[in-house]
Amino acid sequence: MDPAVGWLLLWGTLVGLDLITWPQAMIARPLVAGTVAGWILRDVSSGAAVGVILELFALDLLPVGAARYPDYGAAAVGATYAASGAPGVLSWGLAVLLGLVVAYAGQGGIHVVRRRTGAEVRRVAVALDAGDPDTIRQVHFRGIARDTVRSFGVTALGLVLAAAVRAWPLLGLQGTALLQMVTLGAALGVSVMGAVRLSGRGVARAWLAAGLVAGAGWVLLR
Amino acid sequence: MRPLLRAWLRSFTVQGSFNYDRMVGLGLAYVMEPLVRELPGDEPMARYRRALARAAAFFNAHPYLVGMGAGALARAEREAVPEPQIERLKNGLIASLGSVGDRLVWVGWLPVCSAAGLVVTVAVSPLAGVATLLVAYNVVHLLVRWWALGAGWRDGVRVASALSGPAMQVALRFVGRAAPFALGVAIPVTVDWLARGAPPAALPGVAATGVAVLVMGRWLAPALGGVRIGLVLLGTAFLVGLVWR
Repeated sequence: MDPAVGWLLLWGTLVGLDLITWPQAMIARPLVAGTVAGWILRDVSSGAAVGVILELFALDLLPVGAARYPDYGAAAVGATYAASGAPGVLSWGLAVLLGLVVAYAGQGGIHVVRRRTGAEVRRVAVALDAGDPDTIRQVHFRGIARDTVRSFGVTALGLVLAAAVRAWPLLGLQGTALLQMVTLGAALGVSVMGAVRLSGRGVARAWLAAGLVAGAGWVLLR
Repeated sequence: MRPLLRAWLRSFTVQGSFNYDRMVGLGLAYVMEPLVRELPGDEPMARYRRALARAAAFFNAHPYLVGMGAGALARAEREAVPEPQIERLKNGLIASLGSVGDRLVWVGWLPVCSAAGLVVTVAVSPLAGVATLLVAYNVVHLLVRWWALGAGWRDGVRVASALSGPAMQVALRFVGRAAPFALGVAIPVTVDWLARGAPPAALPGVAATGVAVLVMGRWLAPALGGVRIGLVLLGTAFLVGLVWR
């Protein structure tokens, strides 16, 4: 086994924990998670490319209230492992598809963790309602432990799928090019969708339009 | 370790026990615990437990501002504010801490930093992009957590004034404009960078896919969200690619 996989597993677990539980320092952003995974694999450019694409997808999510959202960070670690070592742009499409599958599985995992913690809260409700500090601490730490297991599992799933993708390339050249094109278009569409939703109406929408004009100008003048 | 510093450090784990029954109630109690450990007056242990029990019931707020709730409720407990008034304070904080925190961080500062990270990745280097995102975001993140806890602990039941102060209004107005502008700049610059290796013949396909996603996400199936729309499109392209050799 590639010795870097152990470091990726550790990194992905930390990234998964950062998403909600601790410390929310945004190492869970796919741009960060993917680029650092690429650095671990000595292939920063693949990690950055995968991270940038998944970051565009992540612009669509708003982690407000009790919303469940995809775990793009842990997914970016597996996706980077799938993409690393493959030549240039040919590696992105399948890696990002893998990343989306893992991110969605991570979202399901978050739901399971919250339900399990809720079940424990109901089980010890009498002690909690009596203000027992030991019970509060124990339930809190068991919740953190549950999310650690979830993050480890999501990262491991991503790495296993990535190892399969690396061992058995499934697509020919045309299929790879098609997937690449759709990946880029989907990232563009989802990021614009997220930006429009985030800016709401009125003045903020005008600022978004101004930004798009400035960005397009930058591209044209480059 | 000083109780306020201990509470601040604990606030980083505030969502550790998040659940659909009490949301971050247990997290609030865990953060607040060092601040109510030595309450003055009669029956300190009974008051300590009652304070924790109240905190551990339902509570929800933006995670960075839960410290403000913990500080304010702990101060109210220390000052022996009547229990119904503490309950009203707690219930009142749920809406305001959630609304202000979401606008300030999730809809404001985080998109600004994400966009900055993307642009620096493209224009300078990936590691510089990562550093930009992490440093810019966390300077504000750490300050917001410390300010929130301190303001709650200082102001107690009058903590609402901290949330509606002029500095907060300026910050909300700034991020409300900076976030959409930064995203607007970052999206075309980033997509252009990604498309550089693609053949020119693929670019109309990229644009058509982008428009299809927008139509699906905005009008046809807005409940799907980005990840599921991406899965549908990329999954379909993958299946087509399997047979297209």
